[in-house]
Amino acid sequence: MKASSPRLQALRDAVNHVHFNRFRFWFQLAAFVLFVYGGYLAIDLGSRLPFFACGYNQEGRAGVCYLLPLQHQLSLPWARLFSYAGIAVLTGFLIFALWFIFLNKGWCGFICPLGTIQDWLTSLRRRLGIRYSTYSHGQFAQLTKVKYLLLALMILIPLGIGGGLFSHSMSPPFCLICPARMILPMFTGDFSQFTIDFSSSAAMVMTALGISITALFLVGSFVKKRFFCFFCPMSALHYLISKPALLKLKKDGSKCTRCGDCYNVCDMEIKEIADDIKNTNIMTDDCTMCLKCVASCPETGALKATFAGIPIFESTEAGFIKRMGKGVQHGK
Amino acid sequence: MSKLYLCAIALLATLSINGYCEDAPAAEKRFGQGGGRPSEAQIAEWRAKREAREGQAATADAPSPAGSGAHGDMSAMSGMTGMAGMPGMKDEGSLRSGRSGGKPSMKGMPEGAARSGGRPSGMGMRSGGALWLSDTPPMRGDGARGGRSGMAGMDMSGGGWGKPAVKRLWLRAGNDPQRSGFAQEDADAQVETLLVTPDGKPEGEPLPSASDDRKGLSFEMPVQGFYRLYLTSRKLQGDILNVNVAKAEVANFGHGGDVEEAARGLQATRYSESAPLEIVRERKPDERKFFQLKSGEDQVFIVLKKGLPLQGARVRMVSYQGWSKEEVSDEQGRVSFQIVRDYFPPWNEFEKRFKATYLLIAEANAAETGKYQDKPYTSVRYQASLSGNYYPSPTDYLSYAWALGVGMAILLFCGVAVYLYRRRRVKPYQEERFHEGK
Repeated sequence: MKASSPRLQALRDAVNHVHFNRFRFWFQLAAFVLFVYGGYLAIDLGSRLPFFACGYNQEGRAGVCYLLPLQHQLSLPWARLFSYAGIAVLTGFLIFALWFIFLNKGWCGFICPLGTIQDWLTSLRRRLGIRYSTYSHGQFAQLTKVKYLLLALMILIPLGIGGGLFSHSMSPPFCLICPARMILPMFTGDFSQFTIDFSSSAAMVMTALGISITALFLVGSFVKKRFFCFFCPMSALHYLISKPALLKLKKDGSKCTRCGDCYNVCDMEIKEIADDIKNTNIMTDDCTMCLKCVASCPETGALKATFAGIPIFESTEAGFIKRMGKGVQHGK
Repeated sequence: MSKLYLCAIALLATLSINGYCEDAPAAEKRFGQGGGRPSEAQIAEWRAKREAREGQAATADAPSPAGSGAHGDMSAMSGMTGMAGMPGMKDEGSLRSGRSGGKPSMKGMPEGAARSGGRPSGMGMRSGGALWLSDTPPMRGDGARGGRSGMAGMDMSGGGWGKPAVKRLWLRAGNDPQRSGFAQEDADAQVETLLVTPDGKPEGEPLPSASDDRKGLSFEMPVQGFYRLYLTSRKLQGDILNVNVAKAEVANFGHGGDVEEAARGLQATRYSESAPLEIVRERKPDERKFFQLKSGEDQVFIVLKKGLPLQGARVRMVSYQGWSKEEVSDEQGRVSFQIVRDYFPPWNEFEKRFKATYLLIAEANAAETGKYQDKPYTSVRYQASLSGNYYPSPTDYLSYAWALGVGMAILLFCGVAVYLYRRRRVKPYQEERFHEGK
């Protein structure tokens, strides 16, 4: 590494020694306010956002989660979808990808309002002194596939709707079962999504499933950190296109002592973060890029977040010591 | 276990639907005075009255040459006796079934044609009721969903990638949205068609008339905003000049596109100062690009004559099923109607996006004198029409109670399950002491 100027070094030290949890809390809060209430300030960042800025939050949203328009587009009649409308699908995906590569899965760890709510529920549980749950390795290996299954269904069902195989009442299928549809509008006083739609059997099943999953979400997120992210099809979609992303999570295996601190603080229980000392690009499909692993690492330079190849947050011994007891809290 | 879940879901559905249908007072409360579901007894009573009236009309109606009863429909609007008891109308006395008998306008055409939506024998009110522009041809049937939908609920055809959308409208004659047939050309009437584009001339530009009325009137919509089509028909009958203005307003907005253009389109003027008489749907304060009128909502319309509010105009709204209500415009030219809920199919046939057409007819007489085609007239009868679409209320068939019940049940079940699971895994405290000395 080239020797940097004293000012730049001071800036790096300030960033590396930051009270990470505090910083992340305020960052998430600001993002939550922006994307749940930004619409009241006429902020509109479009409908291709790579996180759960729920489109059902009619008044307050500052943008719309890409999964909503994607499902709508895919449920167009096949004759249109596979002709000129297909170009709109491709351009929509391109805009989504452009948003995504900017922060990679950092959208999940720092911006996603539904992820923030899960972190708040975790914080509440911790304050109540209730211990959290973990998966066994066998459960982890099985459950991690669920998000890909949901992603496949999220694409296939709208295609089936467009082809007349399924009822339009099922559209958009993932949104109908997504907890964000029920929970995020509630923050603007809109409880209209807390309903079961009896207008057709398909609508009834989907909305009942949505309510059930929302209840599961609340219980699950209370006892399990980032419970829903484990099953999130957006997370699966992120991972499939994450290669060109600018924000990366890097690991220097030669500096890792395999103390396991990073694994202990990982909300997603990703074991590779501690065990893998060969790969430099350490982000896995379950990772939310919350960077808590970087903050909890006591080895200087063992873990780092880079943006376009430039280190922006790096593990340091001094930072670790400073944060001990205040920031990352082990095992909670 | 899965069978148990299926049974539970089926039971929930049955209970909910039964409860919904039987709970008419609650439904009326939910949808306001006008949106409630009528009871079976009420429906049976109306059907009986309607059938009786249709029977009377069938015996009273006799085919007569086109041209007789020139102003029958106008007199009918103010003179028809009402069918009382329909919920949703503020003045029950003024309620009528537009499809039923007592329609002098239908006298000028064969009974079959009037009832089946066939072609009336002449253009204008005397032959088939009011002239109006529709986005669906008569033969398409209930809740048409074929073709491209959108554009504020109006069907659209044509267009494509890189090409402007093409809108197609049909000129129809009749006072019933479902049963009105195509309007035929009347050799005695002078017709002009004017298209007002969002960024075009305020007074519009002539639209070439279609060679065959079944082809409808087509125009391209290259920019976002409201396109208005005015079809004005003038005809002298005796010393009375009949002026009929059929108007259609088509919203053309996209999800993407130029944001400023869309904003301009939303705010643009939506009336014409040259229109002899027109009806303007008043925008709601929270109205956005993709507005849809829902059953149970109140909607204000404004009657304008040459761009100025007209007081005292008789305005009749006819619902998709033929229910109608008449109001008189106030000093601001405003009339308000509650969109009646008249879509009650069996549960398994219910469509949440069912598109129903309403028809609005405004009439006014004026003691104006002048000459038309070198012939003098002593008064003018104005008639304006506007059609639009409305959809079932978004709250139809929605249940908060069931959602709360299901949600709370699963919340409790999962919470207790986690608690019991953890409790079962707690091992009793055991202490083992080591004594190094031994």
